[in-house]
Order: sequence, then structure tokens, then C-alpha cells
Amino acid sequence: MAMIDLDKMLEKVKATQWALADIDWDAPGAEMITEEQWPKLKDFMVDLMWIEHVGARGFAAMAKKAPTETLRQIYSYFHAEEQRHANAEMALMKRWGMLEDGELPEPNINLRLVIEWLDRYADEMPYYVLGTVIPMLEIALDGALCTFLLETVDDPVCHQAFEKINDDESRHLGVGFTVMEMQGHNKTTIQMVKTMAPMLDPRLMLGIAAYFPLLNKMRDNVVKMGLPEEKLYAAMKKFKKIGGRTAEGRRNPWYQLIQHHGAIMVNRANRFYHVPVDAAVKATGMIPRRMLPAVPSWVKELTWEPTA
Amino acid sequence: MAKSIADDSAGTSTPAVPDKTVTHKPAAVLIVGAGFAGLGMAIRLQQAGINDIVILERSTEVGGTWRDNQYPGAACDIPSNLYSYSFAQNPDWSRSFSGSREILGYIHHLVKEFGLDRYIRFGKNVEQLEFDERKGLWSATTSQGEVFSGRSAVMAQGPLSNASFPDMPGIEQYKGHKIHSARWDHGYDFRGKKVAVIGTGASAIQIIPELVKEVEHLTVFQRTPGWVMPRPDFETPEWNKEIFRKLPFTQSVLRQALYLAHESMALAVIWSSPLTRIAERVGRWHLHSQVKDRWMRRQLTPNYRIGCKRVLISNDYYPALQKPNCKLITWPIYTLCENGIRSVEGIEHQFDCIVFATGFEVSKAGSPFPVIGVGGRQLNDDWSRGAQAYKSINVAGYPNLFFTFGPNSGPGHNSALVYMESQLDYAVRGIRKILGENLKMLDVKPHVQKQYNEGIQKRLAKTNWNSGCMSWYLTEDGFNATMYPGFATQYANQMKEFRDKDYLLVPG
Repeated sequence: MAMIDLDKMLEKVKATQWALADIDWDAPGAEMITEEQWPKLKDFMVDLMWIEHVGARGFAAMAKKAPTETLRQIYSYFHAEEQRHANAEMALMKRWGMLEDGELPEPNINLRLVIEWLDRYADEMPYYVLGTVIPMLEIALDGALCTFLLETVDDPVCHQAFEKINDDESRHLGVGFTVMEMQGHNKTTIQMVKTMAPMLDPRLMLGIAAYFPLLNKMRDNVVKMGLPEEKLYAAMKKFKKIGGRTAEGRRNPWYQLIQHHGAIMVNRANRFYHVPVDAAVKATGMIPRRMLPAVPSWVKELTWEPTA
Repeated sequence: MAKSIADDSAGTSTPAVPDKTVTHKPAAVLIVGAGFAGLGMAIRLQQAGINDIVILERSTEVGGTWRDNQYPGAACDIPSNLYSYSFAQNPDWSRSFSGSREILGYIHHLVKEFGLDRYIRFGKNVEQLEFDERKGLWSATTSQGEVFSGRSAVMAQGPLSNASFPDMPGIEQYKGHKIHSARWDHGYDFRGKKVAVIGTGASAIQIIPELVKEVEHLTVFQRTPGWVMPRPDFETPEWNKEIFRKLPFTQSVLRQALYLAHESMALAVIWSSPLTRIAERVGRWHLHSQVKDRWMRRQLTPNYRIGCKRVLISNDYYPALQKPNCKLITWPIYTLCENGIRSVEGIEHQFDCIVFATGFEVSKAGSPFPVIGVGGRQLNDDWSRGAQAYKSINVAGYPNLFFTFGPNSGPGHNSALVYMESQLDYAVRGIRKILGENLKMLDVKPHVQKQYNEGIQKRLAKTNWNSGCMSWYLTEDGFNATMYPGFATQYANQMKEFRDKDYLLVPG
């Protein structure tokens, strides 16, 4: 992916906005969800919606750290756009009878831990760490989960919504990879090594402790839904391919770290990684919800209602 | 309404097709605007023995900004004892920070006390100001086709006098009620209504605490959070007023103390210093003490250095945002629509009424009407790349013309009227010279003006205003033609001296 002109991108983002009210959520097609599909789809949509929401919070943190005003504005838009995706996905769930009035679906425990971490520490994380992790999550979402959903669900309203969502996501990825390359540009080796220093930050360690099990949990969930595991892995390879297509991109040590982690994650044979992480998934599943602090107020802003 | 910049006339302009030109006898001084600046100018001229004055006011009432900004909660954010003229002190201020009605009352008092009515021509909306170099006269043509002229002219039309709805996508589609903060609709009943306020600047933070008491639901759309500091506002006890009445010097002492206290704030607000960090700490403490929710605090935490934009003061803004019938929205707005506002998180927020607290058209690149100088030159052309003047008051090529609140005269830390007094006295010196020496032209030399501005811009580069945030102080290109980079005392000192050698003097 070539470097993009960020000023033009900001203009494009501003010019291509949409609202939930642009979609007729009562249009025919909801009946196309089969009874067999329904329960699994509900779990899948809950995860998807929460990942979008977590992504939104990530972009909010990026906006605080953005090195230029243009990027700050872009991330502010992306923050809101990810929220819009989560809102639209909730609207789909409402359409499919998966939500009661006023109900906010419960995130799984691993997402809950990530939400907690984001709330406490995301704003403290260096820009380049978030700038590499977010494209990775985006590509997994865009390349695997959304594609799979559209292959599985025939409801035309779902396709209409995801056409809009995917257009937004492609811009998010374009900016994400451009920023990753910018971070590898004109940096000395010493400077690059310095960017790895936050690895020793206990707050980041906590983040990793929440992030690794979340990925494995997501893998388990989507496999349960019927998504071939390979699709998720292909998406991770896509991250490696696009992120590493220029020398600048490859020079970014966080890109190297994350794509290596992706390679380990897709290798089920790597017991050294998967045994403890899968164990962590199980262990976190045993955490009683009442032990967790109250959800942060930004979570409560989600809504499926197109008008307020 | 939170202006430390006072300004002048506004109101409705009613351009009419002139049937015939009425030309009035030339006055010694022609003043455009009957707000704080124009009236103050007339007082100082009168005190200097110049009484041949004409003030053109487009509205039917004096008061400028303070006449126009009568929205609920409108008040000054500089203590009244400092936001008033030192030559016309008011011992009866009811509060430390007076509301706009009381300030307007003070302005009316000035008119009465100094007998200024005789100079004012109401309903005269100036459409053009032109210099006749042959006669050495400035002529103002009004929308009614009348021509008023003067040997000298004073631009006192105010930098914040033109309020208009912002150029937002879809604004013309919105079918609900629209109100601009500077043109409040006092007839609109807010009870039981769903209302939006767009903007969180100086006016908005005063409107919101009042509106939230009345409306059914209030939604506040914020683009950039500002630094909000505590407001030491209290009622003035009767005994205090009595002391001021009986011993006027005590009020002067208080004024001086307030002046010095504000001067010290320059060190925090204008330049980056350890005091800036302390001021930011106070701002964060204020936010922390009033807002308990972490996410809301984050939404309200500024991402720029204090002083870069106007510092706000309020004790009731943060509590108002947390009322059960109030919601703060920080998602970007992408369009207005028939029923309300659509923001980027995909939701259409519907309202009965939208209040635009989106500020003013600040004249950074020109004047609100054509000003034509020597050889037909136009001020808007000369200022197209950023306004420039000599000591903020004279512009080369526009002889005998004096600007109030001209380029680079804005304070960020002190009362605008302190700066204003220096400008008025400087203008009096210039006008006396024109009249006393019977000059046809008193025109600042271009190289003097250029040199002055180079110095100003060099100093501005080191200030917080030019530290990277976007504000109304800057043009779109980032040029700062608004603020004065220094203490009020420095500004006053530069205005004390009127140097003949800086001017081209053409005898009449």
C-alpha cells in the first residue's frame, strides 16, 4: 500500500459520512436468518460489535497522541466511525431480535479486560504501539470477520450496512499502514531500538496479558461460528504482507514484533505459546464478573437507535 | 458573555436604496460605532476640548457587544472594576464580575454623564469610508445614502460585532428554531424543549448553566475543550460600595491591584513558563474537583497549552454538563439535517432549537465595510495577507484614520479597556495635531509600520498563541494579527509616545 496524502484523506473522510438513519432497518430480509444460525450469529455479532468499540477507544487514544493536527482530526473521525460501526451492528442485532429495548449486550470476559485496560492505560501508551496494534486488529476484522459474515448472512440490510462499514475500514487501514511506514522512515537504528523500550512498561505488559488471550478467545469463537481458522490466519498474513511491503514499513520494530506474534498465533503447533495462552483464556473465564469494576461510561454511549 | 474585548455597534442593518445623496457638514472627528470604544473616544476628545464630533451608529441604541450579547448568563470575565474606564469609575458594581445588563447600564450612564447623545446619529449603517486627499477629509457613506465627513476618523466598529450562523453543511436544511448567541431570541420559550448548543467557548459556557435550568433536555456539542478556571465571583457588599463612593481613591487602589494581578497572569498565559504549568495544574484541579467521571474528564481535558486559546472562567459550567437533563457530545458533527444534527457516530440528534455559540466573524483580514485610502487603495487588499498597523492604531496609506482594537492590540490576560484607554489617548494626540497644526494628512510612514510589525511578529512567534493550536486569534494561514505579545504596561508605554518623525505630515 503506497503512502497516502493524509490531508486529502481527511477531506475524503469528511465527505463520505453516513448515519444509521440512511438505512431502513425495517426493510424485508431479517427472516433470512435461519433458526440454526441465530444463536451463533448473536454471539458473533456481540464479539464483533465489542471489537469495533474497543477499536474506537484505541483511536481515541491515538487522537490524543497524534503528531500532527491532520492526524489528530483523522483519528477523531475514526474514533467516531468505529462507534458508528458498533452502533450499526447493534442495530442489526436489534433487527434480528437479538436485543431487548435498552439492552447492552455483555462483552466476553476477555473483551471486558481489554476495555478495562484501555480505559486505564490506553492514553498512556506510545503512539507507535497503538499505531501498529490497531491496524492488526482492523485487518483481522476487515479481512476475516466481516468477509465471513457477508458470506454467511443473506439479509440485504446486513450487506448494505457492511458495504458502508467496509468503505470506512478501508480508509482506516490506508491511514494505519501509512502511519506504520512513517514511523519507520528516517529513523536510526538506535531510535528504532528506543521505541521498544515501552515493552518494559508494566502497563503495556498488562495490556499484552489482556490482548493475547483475547485473540485466542476470538479464534475459538469464530471457529465455533463456522469460520475456517485459515481465514483469520490469511488476514494476519495480509498484515505481514502490506505492512512489510516497503523498507520503511519493515524498519518499524513494532511491525516486526506484531507480525511475528501473528505468525506464532497462527501456528497451532507452537505449544510454547498456545498452551499458556489457552490456559489464560480458561482462567480468565473463571473470573467472577462481580469482581470487575463498573464499566467505564464511554461504553454506555453505544446505541442501536438511529435517532436521539 | 465573556468578552474581554469590547466592541461596538451591530444590530440590524437595513440597507435602503438612496433616492438622493444628503451630505452633512464636515466634523472635526467622525467616529464609527457607539460602543465602549466609540463612546470612550468621544469622552476623551471632549475632555481634550474637541467637541465637533459625529458618532455613526448602525443600531438604535448604544452599547455594541453589550447591547447585542444579552443571552442568559451573559457576563464579563474580567472584574468590573477593571473592565470599565479609569476616567469613569462606577462605585456601584453589584458583583465582582458583572452581567451584561449591568455593563450596558454603565455604558448608558457614560452617555448621560458626559452628554454624548448630541454626537450620536442612530440608524446610520456605514457602507463605505473613503479618504479625499485633496480636501483631507474622510467621508462615510451610509446605507441610506447620507454622507458624513470628518477631518479625522476613528474606526470603533468593534472586532467582534458581526455575528452570523456558521457555514456548516446542511444548516439551511434544518427546520427547527435557530438562535445565535449574539442575537438572542428573548421571545423563544425554552420550557419543555429539546435544545442543542453548538460550541463550548466563552459565550457557550455562560449560556449552558442557564439553559439547562429551563429546557427539557440540553445537548452540548464540543469540538475542542477549553481551559476552564475557577471564577472568583461574589456580590459586592453595600459597605464596600459606600467606601468607593466616599473615598474614590480606594476604588483606584483596588483597580490597580486587579491590574497588577492580571499583568502577572501574562507570564502564565502569553508565554510558556513555570507559571504556565501551575495555571494548567489549577485548571486540571478545577476539572477534577467538579467532574468525577474519568471519561468525561478526559473529554473535557484540553490538548493544548493554556493560553493558546482564550482561557475560560466558570464555576457552574462543569456541574451543568453533569445535570441529568444534559449530555455532552464530542463526536464530530458532519451535517445538520431537517430535524437536527448528525454526528459521525452515526446518530441523528433531533432538536426543537439549536443555539449557535460559535463566535464572531473577527476582522483579521479586513474591515466590515470598504475603507478606501490614498490613491484609491483598499484596506481589504492591503490586509489580504493579514492585517497590519503601526502600534495597532494607524495604517500607512490611510491618513488621519485611527483604529480602536486594531491589529495586534488584543490582550489575553488583562482588560481590553486598559488597552483601549491607551489607544484613545494616542488618537487624541494625533487628532489634536491634525486640528492644531491644520494638517491635511497625518500618515504613518510605511517603513516605520513595517519595522514595527516585524518586531511584533518576531515576538509573537515565542508566545503560546502561536504554539500550535487553532484559534480565532489566527488566520487560516496561522498569521496572528489579533494579539499583542506583551504586558499591558508595555503596550501602554509604547502608546504614551507620539513621535512626529514616524509620520508623514502634509500641511493643509
